Amino acid sequence: MSTTLLLQPPTTSTPQTTLALAQQAAPFFAAQSTWLSALPYPLNLLINTESQEKWVTHENLFLACLRTGDTASASRALEALTARFGKTNERVLVLWGLYQEATASNQAELEEVMKSYDEILREDPTVFGIRKRRAALLKSVGKPTEAIGDLIKLLDASPTDAEAWAELADLYVAQGAYEQAVYCLEEVLLVTANAWNMHARLGEVLFLSASKTEAAAGERLKTLSESMRRFCRSVELCEGYLRGYYGLKITTDRLLETLEGVRKPQTASADPVTGELAPPSLEAVKKLNQLATAKLAEIVRRGSAGEKGWDGYSPAELSAARDLLDRDTQKIQR
Amino acid sequence: MAGPVEQHIHRDPALFYWILLPITIVMILTGILRHYLSTLLQTAPKKQALPKLREQRSLLRAQTLRVNHQQISKASFERRKEVFIEAAKEGRYLAEGPESRGKGKPNPLSDPAMMEGMMGMMKGNVAMMVPQSLIMGWINAFFSGYVIMKLPFPLTPQFKQMLQAGVGTRDLDVRWVSSLSWYFLTLFGLQPVYNFILGSNNAASQVAQQMQQQQMGGNPMGGAEDPDKMFQAETENLEVVEHRYILDGVEERLLAKLNAGI
Repeated sequence: MSTTLLLQPPTTSTPQTTLALAQQAAPFFAAQSTWLSALPYPLNLLINTESQEKWVTHENLFLACLRTGDTASASRALEALTARFGKTNERVLVLWGLYQEATASNQAELEEVMKSYDEILREDPTVFGIRKRRAALLKSVGKPTEAIGDLIKLLDASPTDAEAWAELADLYVAQGAYEQAVYCLEEVLLVTANAWNMHARLGEVLFLSASKTEAAAGERLKTLSESMRRFCRSVELCEGYLRGYYGLKITTDRLLETLEGVRKPQTASADPVTGELAPPSLEAVKKLNQLATAKLAEIVRRGSAGEKGWDGYSPAELSAARDLLDRDTQKIQR
Repeated sequence: MAGPVEQHIHRDPALFYWILLPITIVMILTGILRHYLSTLLQTAPKKQALPKLREQRSLLRAQTLRVNHQQISKASFERRKEVFIEAAKEGRYLAEGPESRGKGKPNPLSDPAMMEGMMGMMKGNVAMMVPQSLIMGWINAFFSGYVIMKLPFPLTPQFKQMLQAGVGTRDLDVRWVSSLSWYFLTLFGLQPVYNFILGSNNAASQVAQQMQQQQMGGNPMGGAEDPDKMFQAETENLEVVEHRYILDGVEERLLAKLNAGI
């Protein structure tokens, strides 16, 4: 395991890499405290080990150790960070909150943490890190509606925060409020216009709402085609994006059923007043379906073989894609 | 006779040890001192209050909506636009509330936050000016009028003013450098040395700082613009946006692209 891993933000790492990171904690701390830094006062000023990488590593190790349950190492990293940046530093405050949340063993302790958050926010309502932690804590103790309220307040004060919009969208999806979730995801896209994963996510939410809606067929067709176009955009931006092709395949499958069921010729023109796009032609959908299938098959084949340039797909997503393809072939055999 | 006769001046080697070296060392040390002094005097940027943040970020959101409007459908865009325009007309985003509209921009001298910013700039200037004038006086008092070194290469007479300040000899070859000129040379030419000692992000050289101030541009006394006017301007910008949807024709684009690739 290289040290560069220690410098990357840990939010996306898999459990395996996190575990490997956490195991690096002990040697890292041992390397930090050499006899040089133990020199008496005026001499230790001469040795300067200060660097940005050092503190980023501390932070990432802290998070990795918390995830793996190594609270002793986590508290050690946290103490080093506190000694360097002070207790009132915003980031350190957030890390302290995380630590307390993670080590809390019962409901009462979590409520203590919540109170301390409220305390901090009463003194200074601009600590956005703590506001986000508060919402996350509310979510994790099973109060999604309150978490939504918290996030809405946060976003009223800071409406360009893509992270908070995305989180709010997730909460809405969990509540089944797809329309609101779509709104939030559109907000995310306004900030990060070329994020293909967000395009795909929006496509997913639209697909969910299309499969759930009890509305008329026309409405459903519209949502489905919008969803399909979102997936199209996502793979247009990132050609090897498995989730995008997966979504594209599913939506085109569904669209083919719907379009063939409708039978009567579509009014194939866009509405210039409302700016609504016309539903896609049957032909284009068929082609897209073939394309998505071919691409998925290629990714599954090369990704499972671990070819160079095709690795890095998560095994779970690969197997899900394989299942989808298998289902397809079974249908044909029947 | 071929060429001019080369001038020979017999210099006391003590000149080197007692003038050239001290000036150089003092200049380097002043630079380091100035760096640490300005680090000490620097005040952390003040945190902004929540309403002010909200005002700024709401404006920013409208700007991103205008720039990235292709990402969302026309209906969504129109909805956001209308909400923003209505709220901006009523002044709901303003930090001081809707009542504060039309008051014009505040006097920068009465605003404590602005005063603080100006104080910071003053401190920086003082930290630069004081040592500079002190050393200049020191050199003038003790070392003026010495010729302390000879450049190893010839120069045109235009450099005479630059290299022989404080020495009033007309016929002296340009290659001879006076102590005062050596001071100026070190004043402007030590940036690489500071970079080596203090790292590239130092505040030691006054030249670099002056350039920075020029780049910042604008008048520090001018203060911020009236936020209400900025919101109105953004409203107008949003109103003239001609909407285009990025998903329009994405299937054809994708098919064309991938078929061409296969």
